[in-house]
Amino acid sequence: MKNSTLIFRSLAVIVFLTGIAHMASYASPKKEVMQPIEIIDSISLEGKWKVNYATEDFKGAIIYSIKKEDQSLHAYTYQYQDESGATEKAEGTKTLTIQNFDGSQGNGIYTIEYEKKSYEVDCKITMTDSNTFELSYDYYGYSDVETWKRQ
Amino acid sequence: MIEFISKKLEWVDVNYWFYIFNELSLVYIIVPFFVLELIRYAYLKRLNKDLILDSIANVITFGGFFLIEIILGILAVTKVYFWIYNHLSLPHLELNWVTIITCILLADFAYYWEHRMMHRIGIGWATHTVHHSSPHFNMSVAYRFGPLDAIMPILFSIPIVMLGFDPILVLLSEVFVQVFQTLLHTEIIGKLTKPVEFIFNTPSHHRVHHGSNRQYWDKNYAGILIIWDRMLGTFEPEVEKVRYGISEPIHSTNPIKVFFHGIARLYRKLKQVNGFKNKVLVLIKPPDWMPE
Repeated sequence: MKNSTLIFRSLAVIVFLTGIAHMASYASPKKEVMQPIEIIDSISLEGKWKVNYATEDFKGAIIYSIKKEDQSLHAYTYQYQDESGATEKAEGTKTLTIQNFDGSQGNGIYTIEYEKKSYEVDCKITMTDSNTFELSYDYYGYSDVETWKRQ
Repeated sequence: MIEFISKKLEWVDVNYWFYIFNELSLVYIIVPFFVLELIRYAYLKRLNKDLILDSIANVITFGGFFLIEIILGILAVTKVYFWIYNHLSLPHLELNWVTIITCILLADFAYYWEHRMMHRIGIGWATHTVHHSSPHFNMSVAYRFGPLDAIMPILFSIPIVMLGFDPILVLLSEVFVQVFQTLLHTEIIGKLTKPVEFIFNTPSHHRVHHGSNRQYWDKNYAGILIIWDRMLGTFEPEVEKVRYGISEPIHSTNPIKVFFHGIARLYRKLKQVNGFKNKVLVLIKPPDWMPE
């Protein structure tokens, strides 16, 4: 078989398969595109929120401060608490950006640390009551659910 | 239907399915099937010391290959893949059924070309000859690898990452193709039904690939789909009884000799030819090439 035929047929296979994948990805139902967030008056996420952790790296709690900036909500680390209750001021690192929130559910980008490297992952927010929400994520099968409690 | 196949999937589920097909298949298909093959060998009075030692050598070569693969994986592959994915790729594709199926098909097509290159260039054959050097044909032969067998797949899978497929999905798809290929290394299964033999790579097609009969050389490179060979002019059906092995047998079950014999033969050939250009050509020309 001529080399030109091999190249032509191979390219045709690659273009065909890749084209299908991109078309399906393009046509798939998209998540709500980031719009200026709609905050239902009855529930505002702004304020201080406490999350307990019991991992090998960190046992204790982190207080986050959620602020509204440029029509988006961002969570910054505010304070660390160890198991004995001793506190230390945090450096104010941005950890979470809430892209949309309808008063009961929302989506955002959460920064997780693994082996001293940071990864930004998609996350989902679900209010369980007016003072608690669950933040869940799944990154290549590494998944977790955190409970955020209003302070 | 379209909505279902293009619906976004969770990584935890996808990893689970691949775990069942890729990792666990060793437990529920490959090892039981190999035991069945040993029973068959015993029944046919073909179970002898050479076959046992050959099978052990196969598993040991896999250990060597796996060690190299792990080092390559940790040091370079995942980092290179992710760098390319983040800097040199088409828009990233969502994780859905269409993406998974097309990624497996592309990984299978890449496998075809990578496999063809392993047979048709000197450096490729120096490592891949290890896989073909067994005079037997059973599941353990699927694990008979050469020292550089982990390198060629990288070159052929990087373009898939550049097309927008997630590097982890590409790696999982490559392993899936390899696991499918493993299941073809058997004499127990004869020819399957015509439609299956037409579309898929089967034990019969793969026996041909391992044949040292002249008409079977460099044929049936496929992983999952034999249609790649039909499309690209390398298909050969199983007609004559297959004689397994290579044209210059190694007559050894020593795992070290098995693992390095291709590289040793290439080294001797490089020493034989004169001139830098010819030495380079020995590496990239077909294995039987010699300067005039």
